[in-house]
Amino acid sequence: MGLPVSHILLATGFLLVLIGMWGMLKHRNILRIIIGFSLIDTGLHIVMVATGYVTGHTAPIIDKALGIGDATSRAVDPIPAALVVTAIVIGFSVTAVMLAFAIRVYDAKKSLSIDALTESKW
Amino acid sequence: MVEAVLQPLNIFLLGLGGGFLIPLLYKIAKPLPAIAFVAALVGIAAISGINLWALHNGQPTIEILTAGSTPPFSINLRFGLWEGVFTFSVNVAALLGAWHLWGRLRDSYAALLLYLILVMGINGMVMTRDLFNLFVFLEIVSIATYGLLGLDRGAAALAASFKYIMATVLASTFFLLGSVLLYHVTGTLNIDEMIARRDLIAGPIGVTALLLVLSCLVIELKPFPANGWGLDVYEAAPSGVSALISGGVSAGVFFALLKLLPLFENHLGIIAISGGVSFLFSNLIGLKQTNVQRMLGYSSVAQMGLLMLALALLDKLGAEASLPLVVGGLFVNHLFAKAGLFWLAGAVGRSEISAWPAIAGRPLVLLVMALLLVAISGLPPFPGFWAKWELVMQLSRGQQYAWILVILAGSLLEAAYMFSWFKQATRSVPNQTPVRPALRALLPATISVVVLAVSGYLAANIAGVASLWLFAPLCIGGLLYALDWLPGRVKCTMMLLAVLFVGNWIIGDLQGLNRLFAVLLLTCGLVVASAGLYRNDARPGYFPLMAVLLLSIAALLRSSTSLEFFFSWELITLSSYFLIAQGRNAHPHALPFLLFSLVSAFSLLAGFALATAANGTTALVAFGSASGPVAEAAFIFLALGFLIKAGAIGAHVWLPGAYAEADDDLSAMLSSVVSKVAIFGLFIVTYLAIRSETGLELAHVMGWIGLLTTVAGAVMAFQQNDMKRLLAYSSMSQLGYIITAIALMSHLGWVTALYLVANHLMVKGILFLAVAGIILRTGTRMLEANDRLWRKMPLTFATVVIALISMSGLPPLAGFGGKWLLLSAMVEKGWYGLAAIGVLATFIGFLYMFRLAHAVFFGPARPERTTIQEAPLQLLLPQLVLVLAILALSFLPKLFMEPVSQAIDPYFASTLVWEGMSLETIYGYWNPMPVLAASTAAAALLFALAWLIYRRARHHGTSLDLGRFYNFYQAVLAPVVLPVADAFWNGVSRLVIDAAGSVRRLYTGNGQTYLLYVLYYVVAIYVAAI
Amino acid sequence: MKRAFTLLAVLMFGIIFARMVGDYSERQSVSALAEHYLSVVPQELGAPNVVTGILITFRGFDTLGEVAVLFMVAASVGILLASQPEARQQKELTEPEPRRPSELVQNGAEVILPLIFLFGAYVIMNGHLSAGGGFQGGAVVASAVMLLVLAKPSSQLHHGFLSITESLAGVLYVSIGILGLIFAAGFLDSHILPKGDFGTLFSAGAIPLISTLLGIKVGAELSVIIDRFRN
Repeated sequence: MGLPVSHILLATGFLLVLIGMWGMLKHRNILRIIIGFSLIDTGLHIVMVATGYVTGHTAPIIDKALGIGDATSRAVDPIPAALVVTAIVIGFSVTAVMLAFAIRVYDAKKSLSIDALTESKW
Repeated sequence: MVEAVLQPLNIFLLGLGGGFLIPLLYKIAKPLPAIAFVAALVGIAAISGINLWALHNGQPTIEILTAGSTPPFSINLRFGLWEGVFTFSVNVAALLGAWHLWGRLRDSYAALLLYLILVMGINGMVMTRDLFNLFVFLEIVSIATYGLLGLDRGAAALAASFKYIMATVLASTFFLLGSVLLYHVTGTLNIDEMIARRDLIAGPIGVTALLLVLSCLVIELKPFPANGWGLDVYEAAPSGVSALISGGVSAGVFFALLKLLPLFENHLGIIAISGGVSFLFSNLIGLKQTNVQRMLGYSSVAQMGLLMLALALLDKLGAEASLPLVVGGLFVNHLFAKAGLFWLAGAVGRSEISAWPAIAGRPLVLLVMALLLVAISGLPPFPGFWAKWELVMQLSRGQQYAWILVILAGSLLEAAYMFSWFKQATRSVPNQTPVRPALRALLPATISVVVLAVSGYLAANIAGVASLWLFAPLCIGGLLYALDWLPGRVKCTMMLLAVLFVGNWIIGDLQGLNRLFAVLLLTCGLVVASAGLYRNDARPGYFPLMAVLLLSIAALLRSSTSLEFFFSWELITLSSYFLIAQGRNAHPHALPFLLFSLVSAFSLLAGFALATAANGTTALVAFGSASGPVAEAAFIFLALGFLIKAGAIGAHVWLPGAYAEADDDLSAMLSSVVSKVAIFGLFIVTYLAIRSETGLELAHVMGWIGLLTTVAGAVMAFQQNDMKRLLAYSSMSQLGYIITAIALMSHLGWVTALYLVANHLMVKGILFLAVAGIILRTGTRMLEANDRLWRKMPLTFATVVIALISMSGLPPLAGFGGKWLLLSAMVEKGWYGLAAIGVLATFIGFLYMFRLAHAVFFGPARPERTTIQEAPLQLLLPQLVLVLAILALSFLPKLFMEPVSQAIDPYFASTLVWEGMSLETIYGYWNPMPVLAASTAAAALLFALAWLIYRRARHHGTSLDLGRFYNFYQAVLAPVVLPVADAFWNGVSRLVIDAAGSVRRLYTGNGQTYLLYVLYYVVAIYVAAI
Repeated sequence: MKRAFTLLAVLMFGIIFARMVGDYSERQSVSALAEHYLSVVPQELGAPNVVTGILITFRGFDTLGEVAVLFMVAASVGILLASQPEARQQKELTEPEPRRPSELVQNGAEVILPLIFLFGAYVIMNGHLSAGGGFQGGAVVASAVMLLVLAKPSSQLHHGFLSITESLAGVLYVSIGILGLIFAAGFLDSHILPKGDFGTLFSAGAIPLISTLLGIKVGAELSVIIDRFRN
């Protein structure tokens, strides 16, 4: 039997989040920081989907494999799946904005190092 | 149909539909997007406003359903009173903000749609009842903010924006994870259902999920120290965007916290501590800021901290009834005052605080700035004042004293840096290129002031004290300000008439001590104020403020509750501050005056809070029956507050500068009239101490403070070569006598105190006005620089001599009676040490007063100055009136003594500290001849002694050289008057500023460090909660 | 030093996460809310794909918000990356001729592009029937645009057309929502159109229509964003 599927997914997702955090904190290059964020985001999406899994159930789409009648007893929770779509879109959006800022920052400073962004402090 | 158009869902239709339409319209015609934008924004504001109005009039809360289904299944939104207040305020602010940002918005339709959707997003955050939908709106708001931050292409702005994005993105990630896990645990995303099922939120998953959501909200509110990213953006972003983040975005996040608060029941302590720490430390670091927007950023962070603190503590104490006033008041106050200041900063366009003298000579800019600063510092009449009062009262009721301390300390720091900004703005700097912001650019900030004033009145209504007489001083002030374009003398006359009639109406049918003070202060105030006619310049703003000052004094005397009292007290403080700040060289002295006044006010606030908790009511009459340890603590705080304001020793450092550098006729007002308000306060609070033994001990301490103040004041007055400074210290010295007399807590003591009050009132009025005349004619304040003025200004000479005789306590004038009463009261009480010191102080007082008269009127003749004439009639007349009053007081004491006795009798009748002697007995007992002989002999003896010492030290001849005599004693006494107090307070302020300097090193400017703080903050919340 | 702090922070989050994983027990049944959706969406809304059904109706307000987010990103990226005229000129002057894309990409694109577009359209249209939906399909379409841009760097996307398309789709989306308010039970109610036969293309009320609009809007928005980054 081994580990339940959702545990494996959760662990993987959280591990990705931790790797992403490390990347955001450790790397000086802001592109890498953005990649770190993407990792965190992806990890979270995996965690979200994992929490919707019900042992042995199938995708919540009525088709030949899943009759209308037994949807409630055989389908996984559709809500996390619905939420994750939204979350993915938002994650994508944020990444796009960050990248656009990265391009502008590079134009202004000719550098992509986060250490160069210290005009304001104290 | 109309209902359908007005329903709150349409806020979203307007926001989204308008947003989606804007690019299309742009393709059709270039100006269309702007029109659609304005229409949509106005529509949003109107819908929220109309619905709020309907709710206010009793309409039930509006539930908005979507997808044709009911709540737990589909997303729903709610529009109740709370939502209405938040959305409407934010939408109005957004309209003003759009006006401010118009230059940037107009050119880019993308910016227009971002702004519109941002405003809609904030409305959504406020209204939604679905946790995940809240996340979506949070992201809408965040991304719109990121986009608007992109409007500024400067390197600093881009860098700050990137750091901002890094941190907020991480925070919202936590929210996402938290809300999905909360769904996992509770099986719902609907907030109401989740609150109902909060028992299910347990175990590592549930608790962590909840804490992640909490962490996100707290982080988004920029808690110290995990907020460097926010501060950098406040500094670098365009002022309009900073205003939007500070007011709008934070409002949305804060409302989310408010909405979810039932879920965080077990974590209220964390929220309160987080808020309190942010409030205190951000205000501390604010002291060290040189950039306007960054300083405003620190203030923003602090205000959000205060809101969090207030929300969590009130909820914890179960004082939900106070939430509307406290949280609503603080929120509206912060929103409009902070946004207004950001807009003002943008309109003036000077990023460094040191460059703000550029607005000197722009009365409108200064007025708007001053009012916004008053609002942000939580001073009346703005909503923040009422909110803070109620908050402190509730905390005191719940015995949360440490939090009161945090709030008051933080508020003081905030006022300190805000008003030192104002000090920079009022500094006159030669060769400054002035800025002339267009009226259009000032509009948003000006409207903010109006909104704040209106909401201040509404808050007063909620607090239950919005009566016409209380607000009359402000109304009259505003009215006179509207006529400020008239010539100076016309304005002065109008002010006098207004004060006469309105003041009379305010004090109406007062009785007892209050009536006595009211009549004395108002009459004397009018007489002294009439001296303002001697100047014929316009003096912008002076007369309205003077009206506010005098009428506030009247209102203070009419107050029957501590809230009314405190309100008027703060108005007196503020109007005096702004009056003093108008003096040409006053700006370095006005700030210490304000800060000490605020320390005094906060200590009063603490005292009133304790007293209210102990008495169970804010009514001032309840002070008479209070008892117990809380009453003593209340007495200590109240007495401290009044003593600071009276310039008692140790806290007197604000006094000489303020009195000396104020306008000459204003000095007379401050010293003679305004200082008596603190004395009145002392009168009413001493009841608190009467009841218990320790209370009487405290009174003894106060007696010592009074006499030490007298001696110190006299010695320092003796050291001065500047007439006004001499009189300032003399004023301090005389107030010391009065403090001691009050501290006697006996009938005789109180009669004495009132007698001295009346005497000092007239004497200082005369002296300062006489000096005003001398300065006018000779152009100097220095004692040495004057000559034989008694020939040239005989009338002034005569009034001065009478005043000096009366003040020094020589017979036969009123001062003698006062001193005699005081000494006999002290002897009666057995305070012999104090009595001896009193005699010494009287002697020193005599010396400096003699010196004043001698140096000014009998100095060496200066023939070159032949043109000096007598002082103008406008100055002489008030002096003559006051002289008449002194004569009346001296020779017809009964006229005064009878009402005084009547006023005091009720208070002491029950305590019988006054050993059964009736007033007639005192008069019968009053046989001046032996006392006169004894005191004259003592004075002569002391003088002879002093002369002898002087001669032995100098081996001089017998020639009577008074100048050298004084120089000698000035040198002898110099070590006694080392500026210990100055050094002490300077040390304190340096310490605080240094602390600010070291704490702010936390903000390294590095985005990753900021991120690390954020992560550790989350961990800290987690650890604290588990 | 900072490294140690970083490590410690990540470690602590590791512990927090580990505690959660340790406590997690896989679910044996769906929540009551999910059960409701699983029965209502196919039966009352007539959409076999429950996820799409939820997204477009019950959580339609979220979806509308999401669309707004994407829309704003396109605008924000536009604000940020719109280069000033003088900068653009300079860029054109100084930049060397861009490297030509490889043969493989160019030829591959010619074959695959139509297929991807077709697949995208299919995913969009069948969102209510099978795995897929507006967002997914829109992303597929945008990926085709991405490939196009890579394969033919000189190709110009018609910005005006795209932005009109995305705006129109957005406005129509909101309008359909309002129609729900007028003709059905509330904002974004999908019952404004007949339910149709279960499992056919034209069924499930307004769901396919909204899904299509979403697909068009997302596709157009993503394409615009991709194109903005190209400059």
